Amino acid sequence: MTEVTKTPAAGDALPVKTGKRTNPLANVFDELVRFAQSRSLFMLHYCTGCGAIELPPAMTSRFDMERLGIQPMVSPRQADILLVTGYVSVKTLKRVILTYEQMNSPKYVIGICSCTVNGGMYWQSYATAKKLNDYMPVDIYIAGCMPRPEAVIAGLRGLIEDIRRGTADTWKDYYRRYDHYLGNQQRLFGEDWQTPTDVIAEARHYGLFGPGTLGERTALLERHQKPLEALEMKLDIPELMARRSGLGSKGRTEVK
Amino acid sequence: MSKDLSTWLDTLLNELQGIEVRRRSSRRIRVDVQPDALPALLELLRGRASYVHLSAISCVDWIDEGEFELVYHVWSYEIGSLVSAHTRIARDPGVYISVYDIYTPAAFFERDIHEMFGVFFEGSPDMSRFILTEWDGPPPMRKDFDSEAWVNAHFDFQDYQPDWLQEIEAKGGGVAVRPDEQRFSRRDLDAS
Ligand code: SF4
Repeated sequence: MTEVTKTPAAGDALPVKTGKRTNPLANVFDELVRFAQSRSLFMLHYCTGCGAIELPPAMTSRFDMERLGIQPMVSPRQADILLVTGYVSVKTLKRVILTYEQMNSPKYVIGICSCTVNGGMYWQSYATAKKLNDYMPVDIYIAGCMPRPEAVIAGLRGLIEDIRRGTADTWKDYYRRYDHYLGNQQRLFGEDWQTPTDVIAEARHYGLFGPGTLGERTALLERHQKPLEALEMKLDIPELMARRSGLGSKGRTEVK
Repeated sequence: MSKDLSTWLDTLLNELQGIEVRRRSSRRIRVDVQPDALPALLELLRGRASYVHLSAISCVDWIDEGEFELVYHVWSYEIGSLVSAHTRIARDPGVYISVYDIYTPAAFFERDIHEMFGVFFEGSPDMSRFILTEWDGPPPMRKDFDSEAWVNAHFDFQDYQPDWLQEIEAKGGGVAVRPDEQRFSRRDLDAS
């Protein structure tokens, strides 16, 4: 693993991990693992905008992305790819970030549609975020309004190729430069923005703690951070509660 | 029956003082009414004239005249026609009374207008945020809200990369943008 020693400035190339291991057997093993990874991807498609319309044909029998080993998955914890399809409103962006942070590494983000690249035709709208990679690292953008399924498949192939070569590691960027991403998030959501995921601790855990992980924005986060509390479960449906508590009891029951 | 009702309504509306009725077609009537008379008109339309369906309340910001125009669209299933009641209120302070007691669905339209235009409806059951739950700027549909300036203050744009286009054309889609290329953002440049 390459250690990052300084915060990369604008335009700097990322230290690319070319590190082949010295043991030839280990090399073969690594390659095998990467090949397996690239051929079995679970995809969480977060259908935020109209671009999602092109996904059903890409997924089903006509273009059939399952032949590439890509399958839809319903929960972020089990997904490898986060597919953001189209414009992301500020309100949705919060949810996308929460989803992204819950995914296990390695994780890949694909931005479909011009709207994720640059706001698309909503560039002037107060309600949509413009540049997805300001808020989370994006592996591949598939441009077009909307991109045809061929383009979607081509983009996915590009990602597969990157994973097989071992160059699809933009997710590490989120940990290494968390301060930058958090700053952009705070710019939209306010200083007291906080997510349930402790990204800094995860960065330490993955060994991806870089000089850009902490900074003035994370200091702000620490200042405003409230300890997480479990959500309160409250059921207040009188008929249901009456039925639950047996025929004998009458009236409203409240369960906390 | 419905023919009778419609004639009856026309006669009645023409009798009323202070409102202006224009029949646009056999199924559309436009009524211009003073703000203090609007609830009474709606009451009449709903109660006696069978206009039971409030399909929408729309709002127009006439910034030069300093007025908001509120348009209440009510529909009658019996007569099969739509009455649009137009009224204008002062833009400042932009307060009007709710018609929630006449038409219950008005609660949602009024909440929406409150959010988008900042018109406060007295007596509406809930004037809290509706769709823009994360919004803390000025009401965005007002004409004096400068969307572009707001966008420039809150977002950065990707830089134009001519080679991306060639790459797209060559590959048929899917551009890989490495994080070091993404690093550029207008704000960072401004800071340095
Ligand atoms: S790029 Fe076009 S198709 Fe895609 S989300 Fe934006 S407007 Fe919709």
